[in-house]
Amino acid sequence: MSSKINGQVSPQPCPHLVDFRSRNGSKPFRALQDCIRVKPPGGRAAIRREPSEVPRCSTCEESSRPRLYACVACAAVSCHAPPLHSHASAHALSIPGHEIAVDVDRAEIFCCACRDQVYDRDFDAAVVLAQTITATATTSTSGSTAMQCNVTGSQPENLRKRRRVDYRPWAPDSREHVIIGNHSIPLHDATNASLISSTELPWGLRGLNNLGNTCFMNSVLQALLHTPPLRDYFLSDRHNRYYCQQKNGAINGTKNSRLCLACDMDAMFSAVFSGDRTPYSPAKFLYSWWQHAANLASYEQQDAHEFFISMLDGIHEKVEKDKRKSQSPGSGDCCIAHRIFSGILRSDVMCLACGFTSTTYDPCVDFSLDFEPNQGGSGKSSSAKSHNSCSVEVDCMGSNQNCGISTLKSCLERFTRAERLGSDQKFFCQKCQVRQESLKQMSIRKLPLVSCFHVKRFEHSSIRKMSRKVDRYLQFPFSLDMAPYLSSSILRSRFGNRIFPFDGDDQDASNELSSEFELFAVVTHTGRLDAGHYVTYLRLSNQWYKCDDAWITRVNESIVRAAQGYMMFYVQKMLYYKASEKQDAS
Amino acid sequence: MSGPNEDNTQLSSHFLGDLLDSIIVDVASECHRIAKLGLDHNLEEEEKELRLSAQARARVADPSNSGETNNKYVVDIFGRTHPSVASEIFECMNCGKSIVAGRFAPHLENCMGKGRKARRKVTRSSTAAQNRYSRGSPVSTYSPYSNSTSTNRLSNGTPVGEEYSNGTYEEP
Repeated sequence: MSSKINGQVSPQPCPHLVDFRSRNGSKPFRALQDCIRVKPPGGRAAIRREPSEVPRCSTCEESSRPRLYACVACAAVSCHAPPLHSHASAHALSIPGHEIAVDVDRAEIFCCACRDQVYDRDFDAAVVLAQTITATATTSTSGSTAMQCNVTGSQPENLRKRRRVDYRPWAPDSREHVIIGNHSIPLHDATNASLISSTELPWGLRGLNNLGNTCFMNSVLQALLHTPPLRDYFLSDRHNRYYCQQKNGAINGTKNSRLCLACDMDAMFSAVFSGDRTPYSPAKFLYSWWQHAANLASYEQQDAHEFFISMLDGIHEKVEKDKRKSQSPGSGDCCIAHRIFSGILRSDVMCLACGFTSTTYDPCVDFSLDFEPNQGGSGKSSSAKSHNSCSVEVDCMGSNQNCGISTLKSCLERFTRAERLGSDQKFFCQKCQVRQESLKQMSIRKLPLVSCFHVKRFEHSSIRKMSRKVDRYLQFPFSLDMAPYLSSSILRSRFGNRIFPFDGDDQDASNELSSEFELFAVVTHTGRLDAGHYVTYLRLSNQWYKCDDAWITRVNESIVRAAQGYMMFYVQKMLYYKASEKQDAS
Repeated sequence: MSGPNEDNTQLSSHFLGDLLDSIIVDVASECHRIAKLGLDHNLEEEEKELRLSAQARARVADPSNSGETNNKYVVDIFGRTHPSVASEIFECMNCGKSIVAGRFAPHLENCMGKGRKARRKVTRSSTAAQNRYSRGSPVSTYSPYSNSTSTNRLSNGTPVGEEYSNGTYEEP
């Protein structure tokens, strides 16, 4: 039905369009370019021969029909008002070769014979270019011509394109087999489990002892121990703690060992995946972390998300700095924590007076989500009050039964929607040289390998000087497609979803799977703000396990779906290999 | 014959009707494009997720379902039970003393000179509150709606079902 070229879906044209193109090429569409009128800023495109033209149906003189079509071949304007009449169809039937017309108010191609809207790549390109020139948008990073705009230009500095390589499976040959055998210790599952056969239990499933109010740490550690790229990194010895300590001049003995959270992680991975099933005490890790995050070092209430951020920071800081590599978190070249969790966010601010758009990029290690502002108790749509002039808060899904439920996707939709910065938040427009009301829109330029979603369940009221926990349920899917929130998708929808290679589109290979994510860990919080408990649910071999400090139990997936998520961890379904940058890589 | 007022009413309804028609076609055209370009290919999957979530919540809310056991006095998948306070004993890496795992954190707090008892100057609540609301780590979360300096912190206090106090613990 449709084909993909450069990641762009191009629907199969109808036979009349095919015919038209074979006879005329794309010339008529490009000729239309002069007639494309765009209402700034960033407005819709219309077709007018003269800017002030009022199109009328040449047959019935009507100008108020909702649909007026101009024949691309002869420019005759006709109305199309089924089921009453269609002068556009009549025109097409009377003159062969005049089937293709264009909607004068919406700049959409219409086949009058098929009586359906059709799509053409060259026409869409012409419309986008017209819209772009009108907006005269330039990037904020470089001075450029009118043609290079936020549509096609402006790559973030941190994003270097590396060629994608095909995965080639590797298995050791006989010589390598011997080497492996001689230099490693076989793993045995030390459990004498009588109830469940030990071979059925996944590796790395091991309880963590609560060291005294440390379930905030245990819950995050369980998620990280089973974060596939992180697990693979440490289990394939990419950070060898012995080598790291030795290399950095550490003296033997725990007290004098050089502080390195990655080394402690390495030790934990070794212990947890060793096959020993007695609960592990992450004491050394706690000790190291408290040395790193001195201001959080206390036996008191701690927040799991805060610990997560602090931990990533710790790994980033302590990993040896390679001078050749970029140190900025966005590229992910600095350390394993950022390579896995770091994504890049794009922020566009468009001046509502002139259309000039300023674009900036920022790295992020996770996504913090707000609930919608509290709506009334009823399950009905609360769209009656609009919270600002540009958007209407609706907490309703398409299907009726889910009215009133907050979902992860609706949070992401709100995160990426265009937000009007009102009169109290005027943005300085470089073109107008004054502060103007603007439209701000966020999107994701680069997705991390692992997306962590943090739900802001803490509400602090500065007026009442109190805090409370938000217990509202947030629906989260097990499979998540992040494509609609990518910069390419957001940009495309801003330009009316035209077929055009927008900034961010992956030009090489299929992009379908790289935006699809699978849930593998959920950290939940139960209880009150100051006296609660963290628990992690892990998905291993499509079976869910509950990790409650030292207690590991199996649970049905319904428990997880119904749980009150605080942090949700998703991993990319398909991991691609990029060509190595090392000189000696084969 | 209709009077001038009736004509105006008719005319305005007519205009309103035209405007509505036009808006409806706008939406139809946009949806048509989205559908034809395959930009909404995940709709079915999304609906499935929502349905499964609703079913799960109903199942969990049903009191007849055994659900998950919340207390810690349960046998885990390895066939073991564990005491409510972790009983493993190891050496403190700061001072060398033997500590029970479940009491390690309060011991370490004292041992490292952190925490309530160790801190002399400022009160715990103000420092902690300050730290909590002005977190500014270099790799901090991107928070789209952070219009205030407050961050979102959920604390864990005493584990559910536990009895021991939240204060510092004296070593055995």
